[in-house]
Amino acid sequence: MSKHRSRQHARSFQPTRRQVLQGAGGLAAMAALGSPATHRAMAQDSAVAVDFWNWWDVGRQPLMDSIIAGFQEEFPDITVNNVPQTWDRRDEVVTTALAGGDPPEIIMASRQEIVKFADSGALAPITQFVKDAGIDPEAYYPSEINSMWWKDELYALPMPTAGGETGLYFYNTTLFEEAGLDAEAPPETWDELDAAAEKLTKRTSDGALEQVGANLFVSNLVFLAQLYTNNGTFLSDDLKTVTFNSDQGVETLQWLLDFSTKHHGGHQNYLDWVATINTGEDPFHQQRLGIQFQNVSQFFHLKNKAPDVKYSVHFRPYNSNNPDAASHGVAAMSFGWGYVIPSSLDPAVQEAAFKFVQRITWDEEGAATFMLEQERPSPLIAFNENPAYTELNPHWDKVLTALENDISIGIVPVQGEMFTTLKDYVDLVAFEEMSPKDGLDAAAEEAQGILDDYWSSQS
Amino acid sequence: MSSRSLPAESRSREGAYAPSTTRAPLTWRMRKYLGYVFIAPWLIAFLAFDIVPTLSAFYYSFTDWNVIAKSSNWVGVDNYQRMFSGDRLFWPSVKNTLYYTAFAVPLGVVAGFLLALLLNTKVRFQGLFRTLFYLPAVVPTVAATMVWLWIFDTRRGILNWALGTVGMDPIRWLTSPDYSKPALILMSLWSIGGGMVIYLAGLQNIPQDLYEAADVDGASSLSKLFNITIPLMTPTIFFNLLLGLIGSFQVFNAAFIMTAGGPVNSTRFYMLHLYEKAFQDSQMGYACAMAVMLFLTVLLITVFVNWSSKRWVFYG
Repeated sequence: MSKHRSRQHARSFQPTRRQVLQGAGGLAAMAALGSPATHRAMAQDSAVAVDFWNWWDVGRQPLMDSIIAGFQEEFPDITVNNVPQTWDRRDEVVTTALAGGDPPEIIMASRQEIVKFADSGALAPITQFVKDAGIDPEAYYPSEINSMWWKDELYALPMPTAGGETGLYFYNTTLFEEAGLDAEAPPETWDELDAAAEKLTKRTSDGALEQVGANLFVSNLVFLAQLYTNNGTFLSDDLKTVTFNSDQGVETLQWLLDFSTKHHGGHQNYLDWVATINTGEDPFHQQRLGIQFQNVSQFFHLKNKAPDVKYSVHFRPYNSNNPDAASHGVAAMSFGWGYVIPSSLDPAVQEAAFKFVQRITWDEEGAATFMLEQERPSPLIAFNENPAYTELNPHWDKVLTALENDISIGIVPVQGEMFTTLKDYVDLVAFEEMSPKDGLDAAAEEAQGILDDYWSSQS
Repeated sequence: MSSRSLPAESRSREGAYAPSTTRAPLTWRMRKYLGYVFIAPWLIAFLAFDIVPTLSAFYYSFTDWNVIAKSSNWVGVDNYQRMFSGDRLFWPSVKNTLYYTAFAVPLGVVAGFLLALLLNTKVRFQGLFRTLFYLPAVVPTVAATMVWLWIFDTRRGILNWALGTVGMDPIRWLTSPDYSKPALILMSLWSIGGGMVIYLAGLQNIPQDLYEAADVDGASSLSKLFNITIPLMTPTIFFNLLLGLIGSFQVFNAAFIMTAGGPVNSTRFYMLHLYEKAFQDSQMGYACAMAVMLFLTVLLITVFVNWSSKRWVFYG
């Protein structure tokens, strides 16, 4: 009975033309309400909201929040929303944000991304902002600020350092002593490193790695870092010629391959051991790694996650058989961050965003504090002279020396693609499917093609 | 009679409603379009987020669109030429994807069907078992991937431990180019629960009197499986096969998270390569061309499977 009634009711429902039109109008209004234009219009008020996308992990967020709180006290009209991001699909997230026309006001970007995005016109140059704020670019280490320029415009200010990424290594003094090595005389050359790794490496009866002497293995980034300690280079100074397949390059890759074979029992054996890191563990924290080539963020992580580990630091070993070689770190090869402002934003919003960029990259209350609390160096030379550093970090003199010795390499917008090419061929060398010379020559030929295409598109 | 219904005398001979002095009710013509108004939200979204992007991808596949620079120049078929002769990783990515499809799809179809057969038998805790087997299908891929990283771990993984108990040497599941693809194929079985549920529904639609008649005739279990169950399940198998094929051509997450395409590009699948071109190298024009090629390939295969279904699918 009730079913029958409801069917009758359904049949009797006959909307009028007006009702239909009203419904359609309502839908159109709902669609219009979702438009990004309303969001953007909010920026027209005197109060400005700045979304700050960054990849500082959970451990560093309280520090960042306190810097933001201090900033907002000084600039109550600028609301900074701290929006930490995850590493998953980072490229996709940043690209779609920039391409979508509604990007965050500040994005933490790598050195390669800065140049790539700047070349695409997606970033606002900050040269004038920097000038107006009285910021002296020369106050930064040249190796830090150089890679922030593209075509005579400055696009970002650095924080933290890209230097200190590859110039230093950490070593476990307890494991050194257990292996009969002098912890006061850590390896300085490739040969010495080879000898130390021999003593530090431990394997199980079936050949699996139990303790690794040094985490040097055959990969493109390790190869590039080692290349500069053999007086080799990635690109020519004019950024137009690929140079990594030089004699020094081949010698470096061969040395890495031999190192991996001798100490790790081959590349795959090493990857099996590395798999333990994928599950969130750091073998250096677990005292299963004697020498770790790691960036200066390790000071912070060791203090917080493995305070019992006794360690020291030293400079990346160089090839003493090459008279022109010396120990160097390479700034801007990987990581190293700057803070960029999208060009699509309203100029007033850009100005507000720059004020916060200035806070975390130049002002003592932000830039200095954030680095000091992590016991890692600032890209600003003067801040590193703070005596508090020496008290906090007993290795400070070596950190400063490493920063001074860092080589700043030029970056081209297609660097990422060239690195991927190099990675593919270095992998083939690692799996012994190509010789170091053949692998590097093939990679260089392909990378040169990418580079040539880029420069020809510019002309 | 409802106040909204019209008296019979107000209808014209063609059936249209005559004008009313109160509210103008809808004409039949307008009522015809009323349905579109109701589906408008979906339709608008479908047009905006499916049709327009798909058509745009076709257009942009003929350009050198840089999504960040927001620039695109017409380059004709250059992207397609590059795909076949200028991209060193294009063919390996195709080969890897075909390899994955060739093994993962049949394995998934067979394993899902067998599991459904088992769970269709009347046993205690049948519901519990069904739920347990279906659970992995609703676990997010990223979480499942982390579990599988541990399962595949050469030294501490449960899989190698199990192999070790029967005297086998450990296998480098994810660090050997020879085993990385089989490992991901094995991992694809993790989500057969989704297909299994569809098979279960299909199994329960088979009329019981067919089995009873077969019992009367003295048919064996195997005979009933091959002569009743499988033939009547072919529409469901066909459906799962199509879904499996389409999904396997788009395999991405596991390789993206677990192997990043390695070792030595052995798990560089088509979608992963496309993704890197689009978002790492900002070559969206080229990525669109790859997407169009994938679309056409999947379309072609779907048409072929559909055509072949006339020979082996029985709608009984």
